[in-house]
Amino acid sequence: MIVETGHFALVLAFALALVQSTVPLIGARTGNERMMAVGGPAAITGFALIALSFAALTMAYAQSDFSVLNVWENSHSLKPMLFKITGTWGNHEGSMLLWVLILTFFGALVASFGANLPASLRANVLAVQGWIGAAFMLFLLATSNPFARLTPAPFEGQDLNPILQDIGLAIHPPMLYLGYVGFSICFSFAVAALIDGRIDAAWARWVRPWTLAAWVFLTGGIAMGSYWAYYELGWGGFWFWDPVENASFMPWLAGTALLHSALVMEKRSALKIWTVLLAILTFSLSLLGTFLVRSGVLTSVHAFATDPSRGIFILAILTVFIGGSLALFALRASSLTAGGIFQPISREGALVLNNLFLTTAAATVLIGTLYPLFIEAVSGDKISVGAPFFNLTFGLLMIPLLALVPFGPMLAWKRGDLLGAAQRLMFAFGGALLAVLVVLFFVDGASVFAALGAGLAFWLILGALTDLVLKAGIPQVKPSVAFSRLIGLPRSVFGTALAHLGLGLTVLGIVGVVSLEAERIVTMRPGETLDIAGYSLRFEGTQPFKGPNYTEDQGRFVLSGSGGQVLGEIMSAKRFYPVRQMPTTEAGIKTLGLSQLYISLGDATADGGIVVRVWWKPMVTLIWLGGLMMMIAGTISLMDRRLRVGAPAKRAKPSVDKPAASVS
Amino acid sequence: MLFWVVAALLTLAACMAVLLPLVRGREAGDSTGSHDLEVYRDQLAEVDRDAARGLIAAAEAEQARAEIGRRILRLGNQPTSATTSNGTAQRAAGMAAVLAIPLIAWGLYAFLGSPALPSQPLQDRLAKNPADSSVDELVARAEAHLAANPKDGRGWDVLAPIYLRIGRAGDAVIAYRNTISINGTTADRESGLGEAIAMAAGGMISADAEAAFRRALAAEPGNAKAQFYLASALAQEGKLTEAAAAWQAMLGTLPADSPWRSPIGRAIAEAERRASLAAGNAPADGPSQDQIDAAAEMSPQDRAAMIETMVAQLDERLRANPRDAEGWRRLVRSHQVLGNADAARDALQRGVAALGADSEEAKGLQAFAASLGLAKTE
Repeated sequence: MIVETGHFALVLAFALALVQSTVPLIGARTGNERMMAVGGPAAITGFALIALSFAALTMAYAQSDFSVLNVWENSHSLKPMLFKITGTWGNHEGSMLLWVLILTFFGALVASFGANLPASLRANVLAVQGWIGAAFMLFLLATSNPFARLTPAPFEGQDLNPILQDIGLAIHPPMLYLGYVGFSICFSFAVAALIDGRIDAAWARWVRPWTLAAWVFLTGGIAMGSYWAYYELGWGGFWFWDPVENASFMPWLAGTALLHSALVMEKRSALKIWTVLLAILTFSLSLLGTFLVRSGVLTSVHAFATDPSRGIFILAILTVFIGGSLALFALRASSLTAGGIFQPISREGALVLNNLFLTTAAATVLIGTLYPLFIEAVSGDKISVGAPFFNLTFGLLMIPLLALVPFGPMLAWKRGDLLGAAQRLMFAFGGALLAVLVVLFFVDGASVFAALGAGLAFWLILGALTDLVLKAGIPQVKPSVAFSRLIGLPRSVFGTALAHLGLGLTVLGIVGVVSLEAERIVTMRPGETLDIAGYSLRFEGTQPFKGPNYTEDQGRFVLSGSGGQVLGEIMSAKRFYPVRQMPTTEAGIKTLGLSQLYISLGDATADGGIVVRVWWKPMVTLIWLGGLMMMIAGTISLMDRRLRVGAPAKRAKPSVDKPAASVS
Repeated sequence: MLFWVVAALLTLAACMAVLLPLVRGREAGDSTGSHDLEVYRDQLAEVDRDAARGLIAAAEAEQARAEIGRRILRLGNQPTSATTSNGTAQRAAGMAAVLAIPLIAWGLYAFLGSPALPSQPLQDRLAKNPADSSVDELVARAEAHLAANPKDGRGWDVLAPIYLRIGRAGDAVIAYRNTISINGTTADRESGLGEAIAMAAGGMISADAEAAFRRALAAEPGNAKAQFYLASALAQEGKLTEAAAAWQAMLGTLPADSPWRSPIGRAIAEAERRASLAAGNAPADGPSQDQIDAAAEMSPQDRAAMIETMVAQLDERLRANPRDAEGWRRLVRSHQVLGNADAARDALQRGVAALGADSEEAKGLQAFAASLGLAKTE
């Protein structure tokens, strides 16, 4: 009964989404208040229905109800309860249901907290959300129904792909989807503005927090996914330029650009049309990511199933939404009022430069990702575009962008003073130079690249700190006053500084790992020791262990420092999941400060030894700590009171404003 | 029944979500201008805050205030164009939307759903009274138990014959092997293993299966199943008379109410049918039944002459058509049976040469000759 209730709720939500996508739109076109008002309750009820549906599926997973085809295909009664529940979205159907759940959740948020939006904008936004929701619900029902039944029900399931039975999977997809789908709100706002042919003043104020929230989640999702791949796949790599990774990285780049251009639009009413286009592009890239991952075009752990009908369906959704919104943009963009003009040397100018670099970078990644698919489709040749391409193109684009980041916050709106900004950054530049020299002369085995990379990272970090220090008025005022001023700074200032600081940390981590990593592959017998990066590792031997739904050989290692003191034990294992007949590696990782020692077990040799791969990963944790810092920064910025706009008390007439003055 | 009530309530809630805003009277709405004004007010307040904190200079703040003020002035004061009254067409559209919800939802669900199928949480299914369970369910429960306790010999002992009965021969082989290794060998287990191996091989009694049946007979000389299958093995090798004799012997010793009597009867009938079929269909390959019958009535000299003639004919045929391994075997055996070892050896040599000295067929022929006691010539 529970399962069928969930199925019915999904079908009902689809019917409701169809209504939500038409009635408020007609209302907005004809000026009918009542029809516009349908959007809100429909969005909230739709969310409740999808939540019920998702809860029913989760319940079926938790109870190992193998009369549900999806549960039978992806679960096993012996799986730990946590992985039974996370398995709900560890497969194609369930993850698409999660996608729709988050989509309707955001729609419900707009409906609940959108009282301060102009009614027609709200109606249009909810209608566009309704289209997206209806399209994906139809996709679920037509090609990937999670509630398809199996009778008679088997007594045991086929288990979940073992590498997905991990806590990382519990967090990574929901976060990533919160990011992807969060951009759907920006998309809906952009399309709604195009439908109305008018951008309200509240538009940018609304779009920016949504962009920020989506960006925070996407950042977290990508960082989480990267860390998961790092420890679970046993390769010790944190980024592979895998098409699936690129699929999430492209919306992030475009979303980062959107975040900055929305700032210009909000403060200066400039870049309006560009921001609308960027909002459309960002969500289009999210949809493209969904298509690439879900259609089976790419084969990877993420492509849970390869079914051509699904691919064609998503391609149709992609074509309709991206093509439709871009066509609408082409038709309507001219009716939007263009923004104001500004000096190239100004905060706006710096943000435009940022946008140019980021969108070019996103385009580079897009080409690198799609080119092999295109070649394969045209000529049948399989080519692979790997790290060398991306390092040469994306890497080259990033270096000037990162070098320019600290200048942005130093420049004033409207008319900036480049020389003044450079003077204020003297300390940061000196610090970065010092870092280059220290790395070059005092770190063994460091290349010029490593030194320059470290310099760039410190330039970012110190530049961000300089911004905070100067805004607190440090050189001019007394320390006590400076402190109280620092505390009183708007949260968005902290957000900017901390996000740029986080970027610097990530760069530092990447430079550290890429240039100073040490790797050893040896055959070890119990009792043997291995020296790496000043540490000594003794292999104690392996012993079998039986988990709930797997067996494993655990290799134990004792780590000691250069002086012989024991620093701890590391356990690395090779697991075998009998149901799927799949082996996995469980890397042994020991965190020492910011660096990590990473052990992965290979095959056993005939003479009782085992192949052991050991990596020394200097400062590797900074890669993800930087991501975490960016998330925190985004959240702080989100709490800025500026982003809370009150509801109007009286009425007035809409008009077009021309920016002329700076605001902050 | 409860499901339909829940479905109806959900549908009602969804319809109300659309219906209520459509019929509810609303105050005249705000125009978008008032929203813009609110945003500008907020921007003014922000400029004041920043100025108070000293983040922007007083002159800059004044400039910003003036700019926002200009934007506010430009807003003007047009009345709202929104309406609350429904035109007939719009009212019809609204009602159509409300009606569309149950129509689409119920129509689509009728097509996709399985309302009659209850949820089946595994725990509930396993906790069900065994008497109400189907064989499949019982087997699944036993499997779950054995997966957790693979050393439970009694479990394997019970499960193995059930597997065999429901046709899961491969699983039965594993189960029998497990119970034999845990509980030790018995005639029933070994003969069951043999039967499972044979069933898994589509009825062919392989050497593995035969070995199992022999172990069963060693443990219990009168084991009917083992005897029956060993006789079947003979029949499969083409030794139909021996097989029939073995079955006949079994009929003599089995108790009158033994369940094996009827399968044995059928097997004997089948063996006889095959024997007569083989005799009727293979005149070119050997002596026909008529020739054998005729030979039985002949004098020994005539019979020897007849056999000589047949062997000579076979020899003739093999010279014309030498790539016939079966023919060479028969020729070698005939000479050997007739006590003519030299001729047999000669036939063997010619056969090996004809088939190609290194071919499988030649090796088979030599092995066959060796089994007849014909020593190799070289």
